[in-house]
Amino acid sequence: MDSAKPQLMDRPKAEARHAASEASGAALVSALDAILGVQADVALDAVPVPHRRVERWKYTPVASWWKDVLASDVNTVAAAGCEANPVPGLDAYRLVFVNGAFDAVASDLPVHTGVTCMPLSQRGNAKLQDTDSFSPETSDWFAGLNGRYSQEGLYLRVAQGVELDRPILIHHHTSGEGAFNVLRHDIALALNASVKMVQWSTAHAGAEGSVNVLTRADVGEGARLHIDKVQDEEGTVRHIAFEDIRQHRASHAEVHTITVRGAWVRNDLTFRINGEGAHAELNGAFLPGEGEFVDNHTTVDHCVAHCTSSENYKGILYGKSTGVFNGKVFVRPDAQKTNAYQQNANILASKKASINAKPELEIYADDVKCSHGCTVGQFDSDALFYARSRGVGLEAAKAMLVRAFIGDVLKGLAVLEVRLEVEHRLAEKHGWEVWSDHPNDEA
Amino acid sequence: MAYDGKDKVLEELTGKSYEFGFTTEIESDKAPAGLSEDVIRMISAKKEEPEWLLQWRLEAFAVWQTMEEPNWPHLNYQKPDYQAISYYAAPKQIKQLNSMDDVDPELRRTMDKLGISLEEQKRLSGVAVDFVMDSVSVATSFKGKLAELGIIFCSMSDAVKEHPDLVRKHLGAVVPTRDNFFSALNSAVFTDGSFCYIPKGVRCPMELSTYFRINESGTGQFERTLVVADEGSYVSYLEGCTAPQRDENQLHAAVVELVALDEAEIKYSTVQNWYPGDENGKGGVYNFVTKRGICHRRSKISWTQVETGSAVTWKYPSCILKGDHSVGEFYSVAVTNNAQQADTGTKMIHLGKNTHSTIISKGISAGNSHNSYRGLVQIMPSAENARNFSQCDSLLMTDTSGAHTFPYVEVKNPTAQVEHEATTSKIGEDQIFYCLQRGIDAEQAISLIVNGYAKEVLNQLPMEFAVEAQKLLSISLEGSVG
Repeated sequence: MDSAKPQLMDRPKAEARHAASEASGAALVSALDAILGVQADVALDAVPVPHRRVERWKYTPVASWWKDVLASDVNTVAAAGCEANPVPGLDAYRLVFVNGAFDAVASDLPVHTGVTCMPLSQRGNAKLQDTDSFSPETSDWFAGLNGRYSQEGLYLRVAQGVELDRPILIHHHTSGEGAFNVLRHDIALALNASVKMVQWSTAHAGAEGSVNVLTRADVGEGARLHIDKVQDEEGTVRHIAFEDIRQHRASHAEVHTITVRGAWVRNDLTFRINGEGAHAELNGAFLPGEGEFVDNHTTVDHCVAHCTSSENYKGILYGKSTGVFNGKVFVRPDAQKTNAYQQNANILASKKASINAKPELEIYADDVKCSHGCTVGQFDSDALFYARSRGVGLEAAKAMLVRAFIGDVLKGLAVLEVRLEVEHRLAEKHGWEVWSDHPNDEA
Repeated sequence: MAYDGKDKVLEELTGKSYEFGFTTEIESDKAPAGLSEDVIRMISAKKEEPEWLLQWRLEAFAVWQTMEEPNWPHLNYQKPDYQAISYYAAPKQIKQLNSMDDVDPELRRTMDKLGISLEEQKRLSGVAVDFVMDSVSVATSFKGKLAELGIIFCSMSDAVKEHPDLVRKHLGAVVPTRDNFFSALNSAVFTDGSFCYIPKGVRCPMELSTYFRINESGTGQFERTLVVADEGSYVSYLEGCTAPQRDENQLHAAVVELVALDEAEIKYSTVQNWYPGDENGKGGVYNFVTKRGICHRRSKISWTQVETGSAVTWKYPSCILKGDHSVGEFYSVAVTNNAQQADTGTKMIHLGKNTHSTIISKGISAGNSHNSYRGLVQIMPSAENARNFSQCDSLLMTDTSGAHTFPYVEVKNPTAQVEHEATTSKIGEDQIFYCLQRGIDAEQAISLIVNGYAKEVLNQLPMEFAVEAQKLLSISLEGSVG
């Protein structure tokens, strides 16, 4: 013991290294400033570049690649075309963004009374929503990056009482190498307005680069916002998405995040509930395969009384994949009668898969009902035996269990066609036999 | 409020003063404030320690100087000035203690007031007690009787002198000096503590108990406990703490290390009742404790804690389940009141095959206090068929208190089964209504409900301690616990 050798790296040394990497980051930022032009005055040096000692990035390593984002060759990547509508049979208004640029030809903007929907770059003098000290831009480096450089995205305003007849599909597509795909969607729904939205991200098999999407939505009194978010990106695309949702009285907001495919995916959702009687719903399913990394961070901030929130995340991890779940329910001192529920269940389907879960509750009001549950397990051997003894093969039996396991999340998707396509793509990725009566499967 | 009387109960609950706030006027030998290599050499010299231990301390001190006090806990407190603390205080008569009768009468009265009269314990309950005042162990009872079985139960300073090989082998093996800021500080300046060794195959016939007390002002307590249970042995170990009522924040930074060798079992129970400060948060003890045990093959370590005191608690009794088929348990009731803050929980590190762990944590927050559970369940790739069950419930008594849960679950083996659940609520008005309907008044109803709520953990305590634990709960939550 008296000859104990120091086993950790000396702290001063580690700090010096980190300081050095941050300095080169600053140099890269100014280089990017020159290429892209600063869109908004968001200071990037106010928050540190994520590293493992930052609690929110504890399980999410970025040290090896974050500088690639800044070194990306932003404007010169040739954008290859993509299928305008990735969801067969879906009848929706459509905005297509390829490598961060709006593709007017592939898009189909809604023409509807009371709806202002256009690409961000065409909004003229219309103002975007303000950020405040709780916005991700002020607390997260990647969100800061988005705030500083994003110039394209969706600008949507829905007037009082308007219910959009068809969903709005936003299709993000990445192609080529070194693409830096920064988008910001700015949404505001007035009193009793209602919108369904699908955000679908794809990438070419050879694509390499990063996607950084920030969605800010203001859900007015009694308004309903429903977002189905599907990530199905081939290639090595690092996808980071922020949702900053503000809810007013009696509003209803749902975000369903399905990660089908993605080399490196992080979803960071923040719901701020500012009006009584509001309900927030966050569901997700992630099924990473060999070498993939999926991180879901959620924050539900109950600021006022009489609100409810419900959260359900399911993960099945294959191959050498890593999953992260961090759910935070925050109940402020005056938010009495809050009812918050959070659940995260995971299945490790492979020897090399790992999951890091951190379901948190932070509660400052006493008359509340808050609960969370978190489980990690494997396929139930009894259930597999039951199926196999009736002539169902092992893989098919597992696929059945998967379907049952994530079924409640998939059922929550607002648009039927999206659900069918997600099931189809999952089955395709994992080589399962047909799951459902999908139009594509009949052929 | 839907019922009468609750406010009164809660008022009483927040109004109850600290029962153990007396000081003992005995002469003591106290080092000047401040920490330097010289102070460490002075402590080591005073305790007539061997050279290796001094070197070990100095190394820990060097490491400590490069470390930062952790900022990650959910706690808000004035960081102590480590140069304003005296790192050594001892009752002066220490040398004369050969038998119980030599104990200073004033000190004896202190023990009586604490309800641990050594004489009485000796006669009635058969509990062997090691009493640590400020930093020095002042009395150990039943030493002779235990020695017949080969059990070593003595103060750490005696152990260093009498059993240097055992101490050297295990000291710092479970909690390395550079583990964290407070363990490094403790390793550098620890002054005493308890040492316990149970030989192979021996079942310790009585509960072993340590009582800690901070007495002097301007001091900190840094004790070190090491329990080694050799193959196939069993021991149940109890620990209790109190401190006088002072306006300053006193520091308690202890390290407890448990070693359960093959097929051994250690049951470690704590009733922590350091002075919690007054209702405005002035004064109170900072309780920054590192507790960890290592389980070898088929062994079991069970932590039970009842946390009622301290202004600030930072404590995570942990189990490293290294051996196959080993078992780790953690049962905790943490009560915070007034301005108290607690960030406590456990770590279960599964390394061996078929390892099991259970975590039951019950938090009760009253007054303006904040009570956090922070726990880690880690299943490493080598831990085939590991199993964990965690349950952390929080009960909120007032609308100005807070209850927080920060569980970390890290699983790297697909055969693991990990379950975690947590709930936060207040005492159900329907439950109280049900009692009122049947002629049970509000005070008794709350008592009934809180008692039932904490029962799962209190049941784990040894008989001798369960009574004391209930008493302490009733001090912290006057009128709430019967």
